[in-house]
Amino acid sequence: MADFITGFRVSGSGMAAQRARMNTISSNLANINTTRTAEGGPYRRKDVVFESMPDAQSFGEVMGATDPKSDFQRVQVTDVVYDKKAPILKHDPTHPDANDDGYVAYPNINLMEEMTNMIQATRSYEANVQAIQATKDMALSALEIGR
Amino acid sequence: MSNLFDKTSDALATALRMRQMRHNVTSSNIANAETPHYHAKKLDFENALASALNMDGMNSMATSNEQHFATGGKPVVSPEIYENPDIAVNNDGNTVDLEKEMSALAENSIMYKTALQLINKKMAALKYAISESR
Repeated sequence: MADFITGFRVSGSGMAAQRARMNTISSNLANINTTRTAEGGPYRRKDVVFESMPDAQSFGEVMGATDPKSDFQRVQVTDVVYDKKAPILKHDPTHPDANDDGYVAYPNINLMEEMTNMIQATRSYEANVQAIQATKDMALSALEIGR
Repeated sequence: MSNLFDKTSDALATALRMRQMRHNVTSSNIANAETPHYHAKKLDFENALASALNMDGMNSMATSNEQHFATGGKPVVSPEIYENPDIAVNNDGNTVDLEKEMSALAENSIMYKTALQLINKKMAALKYAISESR
């Protein structure tokens, strides 16, 4: 079975995934100099994990009674993982979070890397918007049959 | 038996259905353009549709027994969805080429609308005949 709703759903999942990615990038950028967190220690860089899964089509599949077997794959953010890179140590004995040797642990966030990811996420989001636009166009012109 | 909606209408309807399915396949490739280990999918129906339509001349053969081969009638097309083999694999095992997918999306959308235009023209001709050419 294939209908236009599937197209909307699949492209929508792509947009949602890229938006979630954008949120983690924003959070990384905002906390680029954060030295204190609730868990203790400096902020750690976060990253999203994308996973593709068959789009649920029938009632049973949506309710989880049967496994979806569709060829159309949605994308989903299945996990948000912490970057394992060690923090950057800067010598600044006057900083309140400096250790005994006078070093402060800063988050290991590369500004260029985050900006590149941000552009990539924006472009992917736009690609999905384009796909939705095409779906809408096709569906609307199908309504004109026989007019 | 001649039909009000002939083989061309059936072929166009099948083409529309297939184009829609291909649109969904392309959309799902675009949505998964950044998913690690996702393999781009492809749908082929042109050959299947062409061979289904290649029963010319057999359209008017009647079957008087249920064991006779069915001739003419609606083109039965079963599309194939498979993993696109001719695409380079990225570092993360993803094989989606976003540029190719976007152009496939545009092309497919135009071809869909083309089929729609043709259907509308057929409908217009039928309407013209129904209204006694007024």
